[in-house]
Amino acid sequence: MEKSGSVDSLGSRQSSSRQPSVDSLSSSSTSRSDRSSQAKPASAMSSDSASTNELSPELRQSKLPAKLLRGLNSNEPQLLPKETVQDTAKDVTYICPFIGALRGTLTVTNYRLFFKCMDRDQSLALDIPLGVVSRVEKIGGTSSRGEVSYGVVCKDMRNLQFAHRQPDDTLKKSIFEVLMKYAYPISNSLAFFAYDYEQIFPENGWKVFDALAESKRQGLPNESWRISKVNDHYELCDSYPSTLVVPVTIPDEDLRRIAAFRAKGRIPVLSWIHPETQATVVRCSQPMVGVNSKRCKEDEKLLQAIMDANAQSHKLFIFDARPSVNATANKMKGGGYESEDAYQNAELVFLDIHNIHVMRESLRKLKEVVYPNIEESHWLSNLESTHWLEHIKVILAGALRIADKVESGKTSVVVHCSDGWDRTAQLTSLAMLMLDSHYRTIRGFEVLVEKEWVSFGHRFQMRIGHGDKNHTDADRSPVFLQFIDCVWQMIRQFPTAFEFNEYFLITILDHLYSCLFGTFMCNSEQQRLKEELPKKTLSLWSYINSQLEEFTNPFYVNYSSHVLFPVVSMRHLELWVGYYIRWNPRMRPQEPVHQRYKELLAKRSELQKRVEELRREVANKAASLTSERAGSPTRSITPVQTFV
Amino acid sequence: GNGEIVVNEANFVRKCIAAESSQDDLWGKLICTNFKISFITHNSIPQQKFQYVHHLLGEHDIPLACVDQVVTVNDAKGKQKVLGSNQKLKFNPTELILYCKDFRIVRFRFDEAGPESAKKVCLAIAHYSQPADPQLLFGFEFAQSRQYGSSGNIIERVNGVDPGGGCQTPLFDRPSDWDREIKRTGASEWRVCSINEGYTVSPSLPEYFVVPASMADLDLKQYACSYTGQRIPMWCWNHSNGSSLVRMSSICDVQQQRKLDQRVSSAITKSHPQRSEVLTSDLDKTLPSIQEVQAALIKLRQSCVIEPFEESEEKWLSSMENSRWTEYVRAFLRHAVEVVYMLEGKRVSVSLQEEEDRDLCCVVASLVQLMLDPHCRSLVGFQALVQKEWVMAGHRFLDRCNHLKKNDKEEAPLFLLFLDCVWQLMNQYPAAFEFTETYLTVLSDSMWIPVFSTFLFNCPQQRAEYSREFVHSKSIPLGNEQALKFPPVWDWSQQFTLKDQTLFNNPLYVGKGATCVQNGTVKTFRRTKQRNYSSTVRGVPSALKNGLRGDVDTLSRRNSLVARLRPDFSQAREVTETPCERFTREWFSRPTDLQGLLLPQLLPTHVTLWRLYFLRWVPEASISQGGAITAFHKLSLLADEIESLQNQLRQYNTSGGVGGTPASTPNPAHPEHGRMYFKCTPSPNRAASTPEYLSSSFPFSPVGNLCRRSILGTPLTKFLNGAKIWLSTETLANETV
Repeated sequence: MEKSGSVDSLGSRQSSSRQPSVDSLSSSSTSRSDRSSQAKPASAMSSDSASTNELSPELRQSKLPAKLLRGLNSNEPQLLPKETVQDTAKDVTYICPFIGALRGTLTVTNYRLFFKCMDRDQSLALDIPLGVVSRVEKIGGTSSRGEVSYGVVCKDMRNLQFAHRQPDDTLKKSIFEVLMKYAYPISNSLAFFAYDYEQIFPENGWKVFDALAESKRQGLPNESWRISKVNDHYELCDSYPSTLVVPVTIPDEDLRRIAAFRAKGRIPVLSWIHPETQATVVRCSQPMVGVNSKRCKEDEKLLQAIMDANAQSHKLFIFDARPSVNATANKMKGGGYESEDAYQNAELVFLDIHNIHVMRESLRKLKEVVYPNIEESHWLSNLESTHWLEHIKVILAGALRIADKVESGKTSVVVHCSDGWDRTAQLTSLAMLMLDSHYRTIRGFEVLVEKEWVSFGHRFQMRIGHGDKNHTDADRSPVFLQFIDCVWQMIRQFPTAFEFNEYFLITILDHLYSCLFGTFMCNSEQQRLKEELPKKTLSLWSYINSQLEEFTNPFYVNYSSHVLFPVVSMRHLELWVGYYIRWNPRMRPQEPVHQRYKELLAKRSELQKRVEELRREVANKAASLTSERAGSPTRSITPVQTFV
Repeated sequence: GNGEIVVNEANFVRKCIAAESSQDDLWGKLICTNFKISFITHNSIPQQKFQYVHHLLGEHDIPLACVDQVVTVNDAKGKQKVLGSNQKLKFNPTELILYCKDFRIVRFRFDEAGPESAKKVCLAIAHYSQPADPQLLFGFEFAQSRQYGSSGNIIERVNGVDPGGGCQTPLFDRPSDWDREIKRTGASEWRVCSINEGYTVSPSLPEYFVVPASMADLDLKQYACSYTGQRIPMWCWNHSNGSSLVRMSSICDVQQQRKLDQRVSSAITKSHPQRSEVLTSDLDKTLPSIQEVQAALIKLRQSCVIEPFEESEEKWLSSMENSRWTEYVRAFLRHAVEVVYMLEGKRVSVSLQEEEDRDLCCVVASLVQLMLDPHCRSLVGFQALVQKEWVMAGHRFLDRCNHLKKNDKEEAPLFLLFLDCVWQLMNQYPAAFEFTETYLTVLSDSMWIPVFSTFLFNCPQQRAEYSREFVHSKSIPLGNEQALKFPPVWDWSQQFTLKDQTLFNNPLYVGKGATCVQNGTVKTFRRTKQRNYSSTVRGVPSALKNGLRGDVDTLSRRNSLVARLRPDFSQAREVTETPCERFTREWFSRPTDLQGLLLPQLLPTHVTLWRLYFLRWVPEASISQGGAITAFHKLSLLADEIESLQNQLRQYNTSGGVGGTPASTPNPAHPEHGRMYFKCTPSPNRAASTPEYLSSSFPFSPVGNLCRRSILGTPLTKFLNGAKIWLSTETLANETV
């Protein structure tokens, strides 16, 4: 049976069900929940913000049982179920880039690093999931006073520095060696904490996405498109999902031949179909044309079938995410792009998105510019020099062109890059977000991520490097982060079009690294099934869907069938300060209007109640008057008190 | 019948709508009057989904005072000329391009118009948009016809509703307005002085203003001669802790400086209940000059509207930085925060000093009050603030707007800069202001409609003088009236319908605790004490919010630890903080009381481009069905619903009071009386959707207001970009040397 919060298991463990991770609730219990939730990082990693201190004692009491309360002022973190302390060191100095040196206690568990400042006036605490740790290294030698300094580089845009006295007993391991052991389970042949973590959530997030149900929602299969079982056992393509939607006219044998022609066997399959025009978004990897311009007639037939399935247009657009130079260079390695000779009526467009290495370098520069402090006098030009926003712009611009072709041009599109699991995922998911309002709901967005990223084999394990000490791995890249950043840009431009808020996006990113949930572990659907992740770990969506209010945008207006066309221009793109610069204490989040909106909602319901009461009173009065006039002086109706 | 006359006109003129093609262009008649440039057409603008109605201006109209530059082009001959007043034009123009002060660029083509009439209308526009004499400004004709015209529409607002607060806005042209302000702020040791009646002491000060109670009129008159422009120190505002804000010009008589400084300071000190000292803040030394501010705006305009959109994308961020506009916005805000710190944190009085006390002082004095006094964040309070610190204090609107195009060096967008600062505060605290960014934008645009007393003159004395001269030269019988009456811009019904004025109302505004005078005692805003109390109760360590900032103060007090550690950890940053920075940081660590002190976040990440103002005409930058307005719309519906529920309650209550007669089902409030522009319609499914006409430019429309693309790549581009911009930067370069 799957590890989930089914009703009976919920009943049997009632006591623990509503007080899961302390931190998971801390964010919901502040009185100014909106500001704090924006200010604070995701709940499961309450981080530097010393979240416990944000709570007023009264509120804390109301939400948390006494046992946990005692822990609040202690030096130890509040542990998750199955979380165990591995080592504790007293008299560790945290060299905070904003305050200076702080002395305290450092604790390492199998899930997190926890530092509690022991200075009387400082109630600072650092609470960081080990999954965030990218690199731990000793800085310099032992100082004159026998202290050793360690730097901890994090994946979430911050660096930490600690110093402590080396244990006198040379056989005893330093706490930082313990840290390195648990921060890199892969390198140390340990299991991720996600496998131990036990928590009961009212909903099982693994069930949020069902490929067949999502196809059905899109009206598939239909007369032009069928659901193929050819990849049921991941034999055709080990990085693709088992359920594939392909044109009815292409039999499975053809698909096998096409798989040999497309990089990594990632054949063109349907991602999305327009409910009215039947124009489709199709994704795949590059064709293996090579220097000799190899052709594959089944592949050509498939693309023709995709075009034919849409009666509205006699053209097909192939969007190659890469710069044309890169696409051409790929021919040397056997890859390449579709020639317009081979693919009649198809038009090829290059979208100029750079590769994972360029993006990684851009993020590295961005971190330099924003952490720990920004240079006020040259902020904008420094930001410009990182090219981060420029990359965001190019990605959004590509998605916009795709959405526009599908919506306004009523034309089907095929999207690919080299392997079709990075830039392609960015483009198709963003285009679908623009085209289909369902994906702008909380559950719809979860489906979108599960579908276009998780099931279609974005290599999360490799791009993030979960639990792997090899921090210089060239396969790491912030591809998914860029996607979430693009979504945030869209939220900014359309503040009422999305059901979720900024905090939802930050939470997703925090758990992208935390390794608390199985959602972003492994590289493909096949691997996930092999590792039995849905049985052995929890889904992030279980956590999120059990406290939807936290993640809901109060301004949400269902645009229903409205297509969003964001303005992709530097005039409107902004650096996501609430994410990238959130560790800087000077970055106070702007006063959110959400709180005020909620106040107004409360006021409305209060007024509605009063109006309703008065209406009833008046009605009663009228009834009593008529009955009096009718001459029935019974005491059945008590006179109503006058309005005060 | 408002004094407007047609000067010249041309038929068969084409107004360009889209930059890329001429297919949407409109045909019509181009008219130049003594007030505006009109384009009369029977076609409707394509794609235009929304247009708000302006009483004085049609949808294609441009007031002459809004025209910055008149450029005529003959593309066949490859000729072009920037037209000045009274100039000759040696070629027949095929095209007229109007560069406007509100950032619009409007183009007309004369392909089908008679060459002579095209030339004439261009010359007329050039001539009339650069009047040689202030009396040629339309406001004079307008005021005259308003006052003595047949319609007598001056009485219009007497019985009308006044949602814009026009009538309630004190103009500070009479002692009673100042008296009320003294009472409101509890400035008991200050008095209204009338030594400047008839402007006999200082030409640029108002007739009535406020001075320390201990200063005698005779002394004041004597001191006046030693100050630049005879501007003796003038009171602005009092803090509830007794410290006051004063502004003054510099002392020109060096020999008197010491003595005067001493006397004035001691008088201000005497007016402080705790006899606190007075700190002087020299604005000239710390803030950019007006020329620098003007240069910044020109660069910003260059990036926002002149340069081709796509080409300027790549360097957009650095071009924003290079313009230095937001840097200056931050500088003014920062300076105001420092003054706030002195008044609130140090509890001392502050005197703002500037050479002439007519530019930088206006910005800083009003920003300080906006931050400290929630009353200034109400609509009427804000208008009173502008009236007090700008109009009456003698900001040279006539020169700074350059209405007479006499001296480009005097032109400077100080008021726009101030509005931008207000917008930054508003952007950071969306529920703290009663008015909206649409209001700020419209207020700024009103500068270019030369009929309001607010923006027409350099000072009250000039208004009196010019109107006297006008009346004299036209030999108008004055009757009981002593002078021409120009409407203040605050009389918004001059420009907009009541319905459109509701676009000024912020649905989020939290206004309950606003200051008011009750029975003569001043009820001021609750502040520091209460907040300290509440934060103690909550047990929140003051400096521990949003991150790992601890209390630096305590850290440095116990600096033994830091000192002990520093030799080992050279990386540990030494945190040095000015008292003002600490004041700000501690304020930020507490929850915000929107009815108390508001401090802006000053980091460049938080002070951003005011997009509605600067990008509203740029078609490429307009987000269709998006932008902050969509959230505003949703909020408005909710606020409207609350309002109508409150009305229902009121109806029940009043009918309930009448001896128990049951009221009929209460009608929902009359839609025209609501505060909100967007109404909550009864049908539930319609209410939820976002109107199609909303865009990030709303209520403005970029359609036909920014035509620049067709000249792209031609030699003309360089020329058009150059003209004035080139001139100004050149001048500036000389000055900075």
